[in-house]
Amino acid sequence: MISVENLSKDYLLKKKAPGLSGALKGLVKRKYEEIHAVKDLSFHIDEGEIVGFIGPNGAGKSTTIKMMAGILTPTSGNVFINGEDITKHRKEVVRNIGVVFGQRSQLNWDLRLGESFELLKHIYQIKQKDYEATLDVMDEILGIRELLDKPVRQMSLGQRVKGDLVAAMLHSPKVLFLDEPTIGLDVSSKFALRTFIKEINKIKKTTVILTTHDLGDIEELCERLIIINHGVMMEDGNLSQIVDRIAPYKTLVVEYYDDIAPEHVRCEMIEHEGNIAKYKFMKQETTAAEIIADLSKEKNIKDVSIEEAGIDDIIKIAYGA
Amino acid sequence: MKKGFKELCHYMDVTGQCIKMAFMTIIEYPSSIAGWLISNPLQFIMGFAIIKFVVESFGEINGWNYGQLAFLYGISVISHALSMIFFVQGWFMGYYVIYGDFDKYLTRPLGVLYQFFFTNINIFGITDLIPGIIVFIYGCVKCQLAITPLFLVQVIIMLVGATLIRGGIYILIGSTSFHTRSAVDFGQYTQEIMDKTTMYPISMYPESMQFILTYLIPVGWVSFYPVSSLLGVDNSVLNGLAVPFVTLLVGFIVMALAGAYFTSGLKKYESAGN
Amino acid sequence: MKKYFYIIKTQIIKTMTYEFNVYGNIIMQTIIMITSAYFWKALYRNQDNVGGVDADSMLTYIIISSLLSVLLITNVEKRIEQSVIKGTVATDMMRPINVFGGYFAEDIGSIIALFFQNMLPIFIIGSIFIKVPKMADITALPLFIISVVESFLINWLIAALFGMIAFTAINIDALIQVKKHLLRLLSGSIIPVWFFPEKVANVLEVLPFVYIYQLPLSIYIGKGDRADQIRGMEIQFVWLVILAAIFLYAQKRATRKVMVQGG
Repeated sequence: MISVENLSKDYLLKKKAPGLSGALKGLVKRKYEEIHAVKDLSFHIDEGEIVGFIGPNGAGKSTTIKMMAGILTPTSGNVFINGEDITKHRKEVVRNIGVVFGQRSQLNWDLRLGESFELLKHIYQIKQKDYEATLDVMDEILGIRELLDKPVRQMSLGQRVKGDLVAAMLHSPKVLFLDEPTIGLDVSSKFALRTFIKEINKIKKTTVILTTHDLGDIEELCERLIIINHGVMMEDGNLSQIVDRIAPYKTLVVEYYDDIAPEHVRCEMIEHEGNIAKYKFMKQETTAAEIIADLSKEKNIKDVSIEEAGIDDIIKIAYGA
Repeated sequence: MKKGFKELCHYMDVTGQCIKMAFMTIIEYPSSIAGWLISNPLQFIMGFAIIKFVVESFGEINGWNYGQLAFLYGISVISHALSMIFFVQGWFMGYYVIYGDFDKYLTRPLGVLYQFFFTNINIFGITDLIPGIIVFIYGCVKCQLAITPLFLVQVIIMLVGATLIRGGIYILIGSTSFHTRSAVDFGQYTQEIMDKTTMYPISMYPESMQFILTYLIPVGWVSFYPVSSLLGVDNSVLNGLAVPFVTLLVGFIVMALAGAYFTSGLKKYESAGN
Repeated sequence: MKKYFYIIKTQIIKTMTYEFNVYGNIIMQTIIMITSAYFWKALYRNQDNVGGVDADSMLTYIIISSLLSVLLITNVEKRIEQSVIKGTVATDMMRPINVFGGYFAEDIGSIIALFFQNMLPIFIIGSIFIKVPKMADITALPLFIISVVESFLINWLIAALFGMIAFTAINIDALIQVKKHLLRLLSGSIIPVWFFPEKVANVLEVLPFVYIYQLPLSIYIGKGDRADQIRGMEIQFVWLVILAAIFLYAQKRATRKVMVQGG
């Protein structure tokens, strides 16, 4: 469905010196710095996948997704959607994609929502029958019909995002790109948006590619994660695989009746405060049950719990790297 | 051939929808149309009055009498108005570049430049058209022109050409923003320079400047050359029925160059954010 | 006072940030100035003296008018409109400085930057390619400077008053255009109003516009005698007082209105 081959993007960044003298110098001589935003990325995405791009700000994930959607021209490398190069055949290829980019809307601010859809209907040459059918599906998921006659400028952010989602799906694209779609949304709008993504993926087999900082998005939506930092791919796989790879351990928390906590040979005591001790152990080396059994031979145990490395730990580790 | 025709129909269909939406937008804001209805005609009526005062103080301008100047002015204002309707967005291209507003055009299956201009079509430009047409008709009467079908065709052809030349120049100036990454609005200056070079005969300027205005920045073709051939003034320069068609040709050339420069700029487009 | 100096300094830096704007503006203004110069040269080809002014003085007029046009750029009307549209008026007015004082400081900052960025280059280019714009009578220099300061203030007050209309009728884009056209065509910035028919010129001499461009320019090229110039400056001063009074009144009303309605 989508192939990305050796994708790279460089920018020239203006360097600015501070203060009045800096501004004066800038008038005469301007220094530029070359930024390698994305370095030699290659990956493949199959039809019907939901892929999340995560990484800290400035990691290059937005640049990547914008190159995949044909907005930015790569410095080198290619993006193929349905086997066609998007930079070479932009007009044909974009018929297969829909795009929702964060807080930038493609809706006409001054007019009712329906007018923006009407324009897209003409641009994508959508037949009235197909248009109505798509709207019916969208109405079921998002309740869009009640918004059709509302001027966009009077809408809440949540309603506008709904409008933009439907606008991006009107021509039934095979791929939907979303750049930080849940940013600034309230809980119920976030819920609606996630439901929407899951539903169109199920009903229409739409491939979904999104960037996000939201842990909820990742946990609920993404079957596959691509972690990018400094323009380089750090990890690629589903959540549990990545967890196994970069955080292959669990933490056992044991509460004793007094302040003395025994050590254990096959794990490391990482914290000991009062009557509570934390043991970190590798998943493939041993199990929690084994450790508890051993420890309980030495001392009486009041309570135990197990902490697993979650998505936020993964992100911390990945970003820190 | 058939494919080309289909594509043309597609573009016409979208254009129709854009125009419809532009009118709807005007209806949403009735007070602003009132403002423009006063502002734009005022500018050109006053500008025209000033030409009259200048002619009264100095006599003819380089052999052009008042009626001929009115005709020239009319053509200049009408082509200005048409360029305002279709191409005014070019003045603001820098803002689109900086704020990443080309994103949406790039992800739709139509030409980017087409969408940029036509989804922002400026129906308010009609308010410039009215004073232009009035002065033009006044000039026709003063020059006692015989309105023949050929004359009408020539006028229409040269207006199309002139509008394309102006639009092309706006695109060329606007597209520099892709390289400089700064939002500059040279619209006011562009218009002031255009006013000075299309509302008066360029034969009054020194030859070096005429050369520039003929070959490098072909503003002379917007009004001066076609109008002087139509009215038969400045005979030495150019004459013949075909001159308005040359304007059209120049218009196509400028547009093609502008389009190419824009496309090369678009490759450097960086969107907004990270 | 310190706060205002800070605003001025910030604005100077802001204005200088975009080097392309700077060079672009210089190029555009140079083209306009040179075209105007040739325009007048062509008009004067067969005449020595029209309306009491010769070709040489007219060229000086054009160069100094180009320089003045840099000085007379205001942003206050746009600033007011933006703060109304974005709904930040109320918070702006709560700030410990006078809003309009702040806008004034910003415009001063821009002008200081533009003085070096645009006026000096244009002066040099004009001197080389057109002529050195020498003042007709150097003893009139104090008069010229005072009249320029007053014309700057009049221009700023008119802009601020137009901007304040935004408090009532939000979108003032068209009105700003009307103001710009009136100023461009009726102030003598492009064509001195002494070329207009006498009746029109008489009417214009009552309006404030000619005191923005034409009066200082006339003093510079030495048109009319000293008594005429002094009389012109008296009217200019009266306009300054009238506009300042209207401004203070309007400012008071606008502030009260915003405070009551909360923007």
